[in-house]
Amino acid sequence: MGGVFHAAILFLVAAGLQLVFGVQKIFNLACGSFYALGAYTGVSAVGYFTSHGGPPALFMVPLVVAGLAVGLVGVVVERGLLRFVYDRDETFQLLLTFALVLMLEDLIRMTWGAAPTSTGGLYLGYGQARLLGATVPVYNLIVIAASLAIALGMGWLLTRTAFGRIIRAAADNREMAEALGVDMRWVYVRVFTLGTMLGTLGGALVIPATAAMSEMGIELIVEAFAVVVIGGLGSMRGAFVGALVVGILRSLAISIYPELEMLLIYLIVIAVLLWRPRGLFGTASA
Amino acid sequence: MATTRREFLKAAGAAATVGAVGFPAVVRAQAKPGVPSDPVKIGVLAIRAGIAAPVGTAGLRGTEWWVERVNKTGGILGRQVQLIVEEESTPKDTVERYRKLILQDKVDVVIGGISTGVTLALGPVAEEMEVPWLSWDGTTQKGVEETMPNPKWAFRSVDNEVEAIVAGQLTPKYFKGVKTVAGIGNDYSYGHDCWETYQAVLKRYIPDVKFVLELFPKLGVTDFTSHIAAIQQAKPDLLMCSFWSGDATIIMKQAAAVGLFKSMKGVFTTAGGVHDSLKKEFTPEGLLLGYNTMYFDDPKGSPLLRQFVREYKAKYNEYPAYECDHAYFNIESYKAAVEKAYATAGKWPSKAEVAKALEGIEVDSLSGRRSWRPDHIQMCNFYQGITTHKNGYDFVTINPIEVVSTKVAMKPAGSKLIEWINSWKI
Amino acid sequence: MRTPVGLAVIGVTVLALPLVAAPYYVTLMLPFMAYGVVLLGFNLLFGYTGLVSFGHALFIGVGAYTGAVLTTKFGVRHMELILLAAALAAAVVAAPVGALCVRYVKIYFGMLTLAFGMVFYTFLLKFYRLTGGDEGMRMLRPHLLGHEWTGFSKTAYLIGPYYYFSLAVLALATLVMWRIVGSPFGLCLKTIRDNPLKAESLGVSVPRHRWYAFMISAVYAAVGGALLATPTGNVDPTLAYWTHSGNIVFMVLLGGFSSFFGPILGAFAFIFLQDTVMSVFPYWRLIFGAVLALIVIVAPGGLMGLFTRRPPVEAARP
Repeated sequence: MGGVFHAAILFLVAAGLQLVFGVQKIFNLACGSFYALGAYTGVSAVGYFTSHGGPPALFMVPLVVAGLAVGLVGVVVERGLLRFVYDRDETFQLLLTFALVLMLEDLIRMTWGAAPTSTGGLYLGYGQARLLGATVPVYNLIVIAASLAIALGMGWLLTRTAFGRIIRAAADNREMAEALGVDMRWVYVRVFTLGTMLGTLGGALVIPATAAMSEMGIELIVEAFAVVVIGGLGSMRGAFVGALVVGILRSLAISIYPELEMLLIYLIVIAVLLWRPRGLFGTASA
Repeated sequence: MATTRREFLKAAGAAATVGAVGFPAVVRAQAKPGVPSDPVKIGVLAIRAGIAAPVGTAGLRGTEWWVERVNKTGGILGRQVQLIVEEESTPKDTVERYRKLILQDKVDVVIGGISTGVTLALGPVAEEMEVPWLSWDGTTQKGVEETMPNPKWAFRSVDNEVEAIVAGQLTPKYFKGVKTVAGIGNDYSYGHDCWETYQAVLKRYIPDVKFVLELFPKLGVTDFTSHIAAIQQAKPDLLMCSFWSGDATIIMKQAAAVGLFKSMKGVFTTAGGVHDSLKKEFTPEGLLLGYNTMYFDDPKGSPLLRQFVREYKAKYNEYPAYECDHAYFNIESYKAAVEKAYATAGKWPSKAEVAKALEGIEVDSLSGRRSWRPDHIQMCNFYQGITTHKNGYDFVTINPIEVVSTKVAMKPAGSKLIEWINSWKI
Repeated sequence: MRTPVGLAVIGVTVLALPLVAAPYYVTLMLPFMAYGVVLLGFNLLFGYTGLVSFGHALFIGVGAYTGAVLTTKFGVRHMELILLAAALAAAVVAAPVGALCVRYVKIYFGMLTLAFGMVFYTFLLKFYRLTGGDEGMRMLRPHLLGHEWTGFSKTAYLIGPYYYFSLAVLALATLVMWRIVGSPFGLCLKTIRDNPLKAESLGVSVPRHRWYAFMISAVYAAVGGALLATPTGNVDPTLAYWTHSGNIVFMVLLGGFSSFFGPILGAFAFIFLQDTVMSVFPYWRLIFGAVLALIVIVAPGGLMGLFTRRPPVEAARP
C-alpha cells in the first residue's frame, strides 16, 4: 500500500516530465527541483494558514493552492530560459535544465534554509483506515485518489479537448502542427507550465506525510527518470504504469530483499533500455 | 546562514568601531607580551547542503555564538578571532578547501568536519599539513582504528557508536521483556556501525535476544511506509532507529499514522538531532530518545547552556541540538590550549605547542565538562531518556534523563570495540 | 592562441608555476590536469562523435578506485602501473557497457549512461565491505618514476614531483589524442557525428567506431580519475554520482566542445571559477547554474568559441 502512495506522487512528477518531453522533446532534469519547490512552498503555505487561524482540518486547501500556484514559475522558466534553446541540439536543452537544477537548489536553500521542514502531524488529523489488512492513513488515500483523478483528468484533457488535440498533434509532428496554424509558442508555454504544476503539486501533496529536505529534488530525479524509461518516453499512460511499477517494486524489494532496493530499479531501467527502449508505451524512437 | 568572509569582516568592523568609541576598556583588551595584534584566523568547515546541512548549520551557529562572546571580552590572549568558513561537501572538494584554508588563508587551526567520508579523508591530510584539526563529528570505527592510530595533529570527535552503546545499556533498564528486536538505520557506515554495536551490547544483557529484521534505507529517502509495513510484519518487541535528520521526523510521523509504537517499544539513538521537530502530535511518550552530547532542557544545565538556548531560540526560532555543543567545545578547547601553551612559552604558541596542549585539556562546554583524551578523542557526557509530553513545548522532551559518561560508554584508547563490549562484566 | 609562440608562453608558465605561484594554487592545478585528461577523452565522444554521456563519472570512479585498491590492498605503489591498471580496468568495463550503449543515440544514450553510472555508484555505496561504502578507501601516496619521495612532505610532493608527473601525463594524453583525432579513425568519427547514414553507406561501421571512441574516452577518464584521487588520498562513491558526470559535461561546454583544446580550457576555467566562487559566496551553485545557462543560451561554443569567433549557433545545430 505504501508503494501505491509513492507511486501516486511519482506519477505526478513523471506526468509533468512526459508532457514536456512529448511536446517539446526536452527531458526536464529540473522536474525534481520543481517538486522540491512545491514541497517547500506547501509547508510555508500551510504554516501561514494555520498560524493565522485556519482550521487544521482544511490544511489541504492552502497546500493544493500553493502547489498549483508556484507551478506558475514554469511560465518564467519557459519564457525566460527555455525558449532560447528550442532550435538547439537536445544536449543543450538537457544541459539548460541541469543549470536549472543547480540554480533552483540554491534558490530554495536561500529562501527556506537547509533545515528539514514539515507540516508536523497535521495529516494525521484525517485519521486512518483499514484496507486489505493494513492500516493506511486516510490522507494517503486522499492523495492516491487525487492522483488518479488527475491521471483521468489528463487523459480527458488529451483526448477530448481541443487543447489536448493540439498537444498530441504537436507531439507527433511539430512542423505539421505549425503548418496547420498552431502557434507553437502558445502551446509550449502552456505545456511547460502544466508540466511544472504537476511536479510542484506532487511535491506539495507529499509533504504532509514526509518532510521537505535539502536536495530532495536531486534524489527524486533518478526515480522519475526510471519511471519514464520504464513507461516509455512521452507517454502519459507510461507515466502511470511506470510509476506503479517503480512504486510497487520498491515496496516489494523492501519487504523481501531490502539490500536491492534502488539497484533493482536501475537494473530494470537498463534492461528496458536495452530490450525495449521505447518502454512500455513510448512513442519516441531510438 | 553561513558567515562569509565579507559579512564577518563587515560585522567585525562595525563591532570594532562601536567598541573603540563606546567601550574601550572591554573590547580593546591589552595585547599580551609576545602576542601579535592581528586577529587569529580559525578555519571552519561546515556542511551547507544535503541531508546533513542542519547539522552543519548548528555547528556553525554554535561557533559563531562563541566567537561573538569571546571577541567581546578580548578574544584569545587579546587577539580577535576571525572565522574563515569553507563548505564541507564531497571528500575530494573538502580536502581542497582544507588545503586552501591552510596554504592560502594560513589559518592557525581548522575546526569542523561531520560526515564520515570527509573526516576519514581529512585525517591523513591534517597529519601531512601539520596544522591542528579539531573535528566536530564523524568518527566511526574505521576512522579511529585503521587510518589514524597515533595522530599528532588530528583531533577526532567521540566515537559515533557511543549512542548505540548507551541505548543498548539503557534498553534493558527501561524496557522489560524484550525478546525480539528490529533495526532501521541509514545505509552507510554510521547506520551499520550503530546497529552492529547495539546488537553486541544488547546480547550481553539479553543473551537470547533475536534480531528479526534489519533495514537500511538510503540517506535521503523520504518515504518509509513500506519499511514500516515490513517492520509491522516482523512483529518485534522493540524497534531501534539510528536516524538523525529529517528522516527521523518523517519515520516518526509515518509510524504514528499506523500506530506502530502501540505494539512495540522504540529506541531512537540519535533523533535528538531534530528534537524540536518531533512534535507531540505524532511522537508518543515512552520512547527512548538520545540527544547525543547536549540536552537543551537539562534541569542541571549550566547558566551558559541556558543563555545559549535562550539566545539561539531568539535568533533562529529553533532549539539547539548537539552539534552546537561539539562546535563550542572544539573552539573553546582551542582557546584553552593556546592559553595553556602561552603560559609555558611566554609568547603566542606554535601550532605544535597548541596540539600538545590540547591533549588532556578539559573545559566547560555548553553541556558541561568536556575534554580531549591523550589519544585525541573527546570525552564528554551523553544524554538519553524517555520521551514525555509533560512540558511547555509542542514537541517531546525527556524525563527521566540519563547522563552517561564516555568513561563507561566509549571504548578506552587502544582497544577494539566489539572485544571491549564482550569483555564487560554484567 | 594556437600559434607556436602562444603555446610556448603557456608551456613556460605551466612549467614554472610551482616555483613562482602560491602553493595552494599549484595544488589546484592538479585536479585541473586530471580533469584535463578526463575531458580530452570525453570530448572524443562528445565533440568528435556526437555522443553525450551522462555517466562518465563511472569511469573516473573506476580509475580512482583502481588506484585505491592497488595501493592499499595489493601494495602496488608505482603510479605508472596504477595508471596502466586504471586504463585496463576502464577498458574492461567500457567494452560491455559501451557495446550496449552505442547502439543508441542522443537522449537514449544519455539515459543509458546515466543509469550505468548510478548502478556503479550504488554498487560502491552498498557493498561497503568490499568498497568501504560511503567512507570509501584510502589511496596511499604512489611512487613516481620509481622514487618514493619520502623526504617530501605531502604538499611538497604534490607541488613538486607529482605536479610535473601529472603534467607529463596530460601532455602525453594530449599528444595521443591529437594523433587520434587527426587520424583516419578520427575523421570517421566526425563523419559519423555529422551524417551517420552517409558514413554507413561509405562502409564505415557506425556502432563499431562509436564503441572504440567510447572505450578510448573511458580509458582517459580512468587515468584522470587515478590522477584525481592521489591529492585527496581517499576515494569515495560521490566520484561516480550523476551530478559529477553533469560537471564533466559542464566543463566541456564551458571550454568549447568543437575545438581540440576547448575541454582543457574548460577544466581550467571550471576549477578556478569554482575555487573563487566557493570561498566568497555560499550559494555558489546558483552562480554556476547561471553560468551554465548563459553558456548554453548565448555562447554554446564555450570560451574557445568566443576566442575563435565561430558563429556559436552553428556549432549547436543538431
